[in-house]
Amino acid sequence: MKFDVIIIGGGHAGSRVACGLQDSGLKCAVITSGRSIHGSTLAQFEKKGGMVLADDEITNTCIQDSKLVSVKTEKLGDVVLEAANFVIATGKFFSKGLVSDMKKVWEPIFGLDVEYSEDRTTWYTDNFADHQPFLDFGVKVDETSKPSIEGKTVNNLYAVGELLAGVSCAEKDDLAAVDATADKVIDIIKAQ
Amino acid sequence: MNNHQDFDVIVIGGGITGAGTARDCSMRGLKVLLIERHDIANGATGRNHGLLHSGARYAVKDAESAEECIKENQILRKIAAHCVDDTQGLFITLPEDAETGYGLDYQKDFVEACLKSGINAKVIDPKEAIRMEPSVNPTLIGAVQVPDGSVDPFRLCSANIVDAQLHGAKVLTYTEVTEFIKNGDTIEGVKVRNTVTGEEAEYRASVTVNAAGIWGHDIAQMAGVNIGMYPAKGALLVFAHRVNNVVINRCRKSADGDILVPGDSVTVIGTTSTKVPFEECDHMTVTPQEVELLLREGCALCPSLATTRILRAYAGVRPLVAADDDPTGRSISRGIVCLDHETRDGVKGFISITGGKLMTYRLMAEIATDAVCKKLNSSAQCQTATTPLPGSESTGVKEVSKKLWGSATQGQKAAAGRLGAKAAEVEFNSPEDKQLICECENVTLAEIKYAVKHLNVNTMEDLRRRTRVGMGTCQGTFCIRKAAKALAIAKGEPETADKLAADFLSERWKGMKAVGWGDTLREMEFMQKVYKAGKPDTYKD
Repeated sequence: MKFDVIIIGGGHAGSRVACGLQDSGLKCAVITSGRSIHGSTLAQFEKKGGMVLADDEITNTCIQDSKLVSVKTEKLGDVVLEAANFVIATGKFFSKGLVSDMKKVWEPIFGLDVEYSEDRTTWYTDNFADHQPFLDFGVKVDETSKPSIEGKTVNNLYAVGELLAGVSCAEKDDLAAVDATADKVIDIIKAQ
Repeated sequence: MNNHQDFDVIVIGGGITGAGTARDCSMRGLKVLLIERHDIANGATGRNHGLLHSGARYAVKDAESAEECIKENQILRKIAAHCVDDTQGLFITLPEDAETGYGLDYQKDFVEACLKSGINAKVIDPKEAIRMEPSVNPTLIGAVQVPDGSVDPFRLCSANIVDAQLHGAKVLTYTEVTEFIKNGDTIEGVKVRNTVTGEEAEYRASVTVNAAGIWGHDIAQMAGVNIGMYPAKGALLVFAHRVNNVVINRCRKSADGDILVPGDSVTVIGTTSTKVPFEECDHMTVTPQEVELLLREGCALCPSLATTRILRAYAGVRPLVAADDDPTGRSISRGIVCLDHETRDGVKGFISITGGKLMTYRLMAEIATDAVCKKLNSSAQCQTATTPLPGSESTGVKEVSKKLWGSATQGQKAAAGRLGAKAAEVEFNSPEDKQLICECENVTLAEIKYAVKHLNVNTMEDLRRRTRVGMGTCQGTFCIRKAAKALAIAKGEPETADKLAADFLSERWKGMKAVGWGDTLREMEFMQKVYKAGKPDTYKD
């Protein structure tokens, strides 16, 4: 199956990108671990012809010449999902966009380069009320919102939302910062 | 300064030893005042495994402690039935233990020593052990069944306090001793300050008992005597569900992280033993090294711990006592130490009761009360070994809840489990009273109201120690605002709800951050989102 854009992650940021790009006429698919899209923005997206793979996850990725060519999912098995561009919007720890153990933090789908502190004792402060440093951890991107794997940029993959280092709405009721990351990528892809 | 009041005995410390001593003294007809700086069960009493030792752990090296344990074990099963869960225990031998000299030969010595101390230890087939406790490490090569159990230390402490009060004792929490009232070489009472209001008062008594755990060191110094105490920190981890139903111990010389105890809805692994400076005793934190060690050793007992979410880490300080002639602390006793400072130091009217363990609190209280009675020339006999604690008069949760409510709700059953027959005093007057506030631990609005009315609750932490609210798998993430509001309203101070919630979350946060990775870190992010989004300033000081 071929798409213009495949968006991985169907939360706030992923849905925003999907709807924005769909509105400009691009053929989009969203892969989300969310169980149901009932009542969400993605229901509208699907109604307008977008494809949503809910309660699904990426099982395989194919990167060639610094480009992400295709992905496979648990539910579609061997079906190859190709796209000109990919967007990852899998969020932070709670949504498993980032995974941690005692010593490190990583991005589990592609192994994207992540910004975090290696000293776990600095991940949090003593007081619940303080800003918590671990909420700043996330995927590093260049000025065009492209992440990298071991320092090498993936040229058609963009990262948005809370997955990004320095972007979090955990402590504010303010999605503006998250929206801005999504809007920037919508503009970049539309301009191509 | 407030008026003087006279008592026969003042007990300093609202941990299990102080609570037990206050109960014993008051049951022997003495007029008792108990003073506690924070809340009851705030120190080591509330920061341990909650293990009802069979004594087997001590059998090989310390027969005296083992005998004390098994005797008290049998007593607590009767007098504190509603605080005890008869889980039974296993001492397992792993293949690697054989390499370090603790193989099946040691098991033989172990069982022999247990039997000698009166502990009914029985060798069972490893396959039988796996049937009994499916989560046990399946590579075990040997297993011994012993009469271990688990005990809820908060409930036990609270029941002792309640009974002391029923026998006329006065209990002052959030009250610290600032000075002893001395007349020559006699201690005649204490000056105290309420730590919340700052109000000061004086109380006089013929005898003062120092039962302040590790803080008894400072209390003794204030009285002008020195006890060579040895603060031994023990760290523990709580897992997000009841992984095992049977206590699992390692059949070898006592070491770090070799006891896994199920308690209510969770499982606890511990512990460590490290000397810490006195000034740190008020602010125990668990280090990453301790967490790694406990996790590694825990997984040896029960491999599935490796993939179980850790709720939090905590640590307590054992009030061990170095022998008088050994200030370096090399010959540490874990036994009970009762010091009459008149014969030891020439200070009259002052006794210290320390050392010991949660398991032997009743015996410690008996020894201390005997010493008090001797000073007061009272011949009253101890009855605590046979008189059930309030709540334990009936035998089981089922019996209590059926008698009280016919077909009981989950919340009512949980209340009966926590309060025993005392649950009769919880007033389920309306449908709201029956609603669950804390769904992890099945705490109803009615039980919160009861705790505020009868159990002297000021903060959410106090409420947690009485009801287990916020101690379950969500660590309060879903219930704290509800619980704080219920507490604030019950206290008649509805405007304090946000502050109560914020203080509680900060306390929980400390325990979570020690184990903040993996699923626990996910929970921490979620907690931040639930409580801060839309109300970013609510939790600032």
